[in-house]
Amino acid sequence: MKSIIRFFSSVKLAIFLIIIITLTSILGTFIPQQRSVAEYAARYDQYSNLLIRLEVTDLYHSWWYISLLFLFSLNILICTLSRFTPKFRRAFRPKLEFEKKNLLSAKINDRIKKSWSIDSSEEGVKKELSSRHYRIKVNKKDGRTHLLARKKILGLFGSDIVHLGLLVILLGAIFSGMGGFRTSINISEGQIVPVLNADFKLQLDKFETEYWPNGSVKDWKSTLTVLENDNPILTKTVEVNHPLSYKGFVFYQSSYGWDWENPTLEIRATKNTDPSFTEIMRLKLGEKVKMNEGNIEISLLHFVPDFILNERNEVATRSLEPNNPAAFLEGWQDGEKIFSGWIFAKYPDFARMHSNVETDLKFELKGYEAAQYSGIQMSKDPGVNYIWAGCVILMLGLCLAFFWFSREIKIILEDDQGKAEIIASGLAAKSKEAFTFEFENIFTSLRRSK
Amino acid sequence: MNESTLFLITFILYILAAFFYFIFLFAKREKSANTGFRIACLGLLVHTLALIWRTIESGHAPFTNMYESLSFLAWASILAYVIIEGKYKIRKAGPYFMLIVIGIMALASSPLMPKEATPLVPALQSYWLWLHVSVTLLGEAFFAVAFITSIMYIIADSREKKGIAKGSGLTSEKLDSISYRCVAVGFPLFTLGGLVFGMVWAYKAWGTYWSWDPKETWSLITWFVFALYLHTRIVMGWKGGRSAFINILGFLAALFTYFGVNYLLAGLHTYA
Repeated sequence: MKSIIRFFSSVKLAIFLIIIITLTSILGTFIPQQRSVAEYAARYDQYSNLLIRLEVTDLYHSWWYISLLFLFSLNILICTLSRFTPKFRRAFRPKLEFEKKNLLSAKINDRIKKSWSIDSSEEGVKKELSSRHYRIKVNKKDGRTHLLARKKILGLFGSDIVHLGLLVILLGAIFSGMGGFRTSINISEGQIVPVLNADFKLQLDKFETEYWPNGSVKDWKSTLTVLENDNPILTKTVEVNHPLSYKGFVFYQSSYGWDWENPTLEIRATKNTDPSFTEIMRLKLGEKVKMNEGNIEISLLHFVPDFILNERNEVATRSLEPNNPAAFLEGWQDGEKIFSGWIFAKYPDFARMHSNVETDLKFELKGYEAAQYSGIQMSKDPGVNYIWAGCVILMLGLCLAFFWFSREIKIILEDDQGKAEIIASGLAAKSKEAFTFEFENIFTSLRRSK
Repeated sequence: MNESTLFLITFILYILAAFFYFIFLFAKREKSANTGFRIACLGLLVHTLALIWRTIESGHAPFTNMYESLSFLAWASILAYVIIEGKYKIRKAGPYFMLIVIGIMALASSPLMPKEATPLVPALQSYWLWLHVSVTLLGEAFFAVAFITSIMYIIADSREKKGIAKGSGLTSEKLDSISYRCVAVGFPLFTLGGLVFGMVWAYKAWGTYWSWDPKETWSLITWFVFALYLHTRIVMGWKGGRSAFINILGFLAALFTYFGVNYLLAGLHTYA
């Protein structure tokens, strides 16, 4: 047990772990993460299996990377604790008895003689030091007066507080990883969806997209209402950067789109032989509509928002944006299919109809509508508050470590044949030049004072 | 008068400052260094005006594309240099530092960088843009000063070892300690701006405070390298050459986080 603790309290281990974690993290930025097996096979050929088995393809969640982080946390914890007790004692239960020779062998030291009594020299030293915001502890023993003057003592604990902050952040990350989840849902206006593992539901009241004058998207806004037992509890407009929080769940605006599975189309029929003839039909996908003309029924079988023929010559959609909307129609007469084919909203002359029976009807796709939906990301992250607390602690620690330098002056006052001898040494962990300057000033001023 | 004119004036002032700094370096004229410093300060002032102008004109923070962000980085670097120079008198670093700044400015004004202010995509419309980017780049600017003083340390150290006379007060020992002080300012700024503000913003905009996006990972890597610098230095007492080497690595990691990730690795941070 002792040897384990000694192992984990070593700074060398910390440095070794920092280097290993850094190098493996670099590796993870050059190998694409969390892709499909096929993609790795195409990219890395015969090495792909090895990479997948070593979990390099999901490196930051691999058992060995998490183990490294765990070892590192343990290392930080034990390193900090093993150094904390002596430091704590030094800060709050300091030894108030000094040896003359220790003071005089310190890097920063001074000794002066004043024709003062011990008491008045104590007063003089105290006055000088407290004017510079030092806190002073006094111990009188065997005719000697020991003074310990210190300031910004908390600065000693800067690194410990930084380490505490890091541990709290890592703890938060564990909670996030174990208890957190994220899922995305698409909601259309007016739709109500249940929230996973929660006792409330979510309703999308309104969804709108705002544009900049140049046509690029400015913002997506979803007005969401939280429903508990079908009673509205609160309503908030969620935008990018402005999520809604409720009962530990957070709802983000993450995407948008149209429900092209359920479009409503407007189709215009005309006749080449009769320019005065025109008939407009509105129909949904899978619906059959009877035309006023010639006992013909039109049915809508397929719709794609962005028509493309894929490499196998099949109809597909390139995107979910309505860039090239196309519909597949069939015409029936007396129980017999008389024509079928694709029509294109943007290319009305491109229609390809296969007719079984001679007809001079021409169809155009004039309108296409689908409910727009809002992509809402739902997440619950029980670790997040630990993360913020850890960040605050971390920053506090960094400020203490880098800007709050503890200083310590030890002084022995001794009677030397009716004169007071003042022997002092100074210690500062950081910012030594500034402290040396202050130390010298203190003693110059003591020498001068009467 | 508009933003690009102000930018051009700034650029010329920085070149002029570098010119005077180099006269100081080669002709050993102290006066030239003072002139160089004053011109650099003037440049900083005009540059500040240019950034304010840009902010008013575009209606958003002046670091939403590569041009803006490079210009801001140059500004932050000069600011960091002026602060460090004012405090520790590192005028010998001036010429080299001005070269870096001129490099950044040249990159910013290259035709490869689109300059027109475009409307912000929804994810960038947040005050966290101000906090996250400005504090991070300011931290990186201090790393840049530390980078220069670390390189100067290595040169000064090898010269001193060969017995060549010491320079005008800027000994290798002093360069080593100035490098540390730059990191002591840069590290907390980088932690706050890059990691803490970054996590808060990511949580608000993407719904998760950490997603191992390459830019996030690389800023963590940068942070680790500087943590290594601090621990080897403070706990293990490394100083001088090895310390300077880690410092240089740290700056290179920061540079890669800033540039490399955008051009070499795809991820969520595809804005700038």
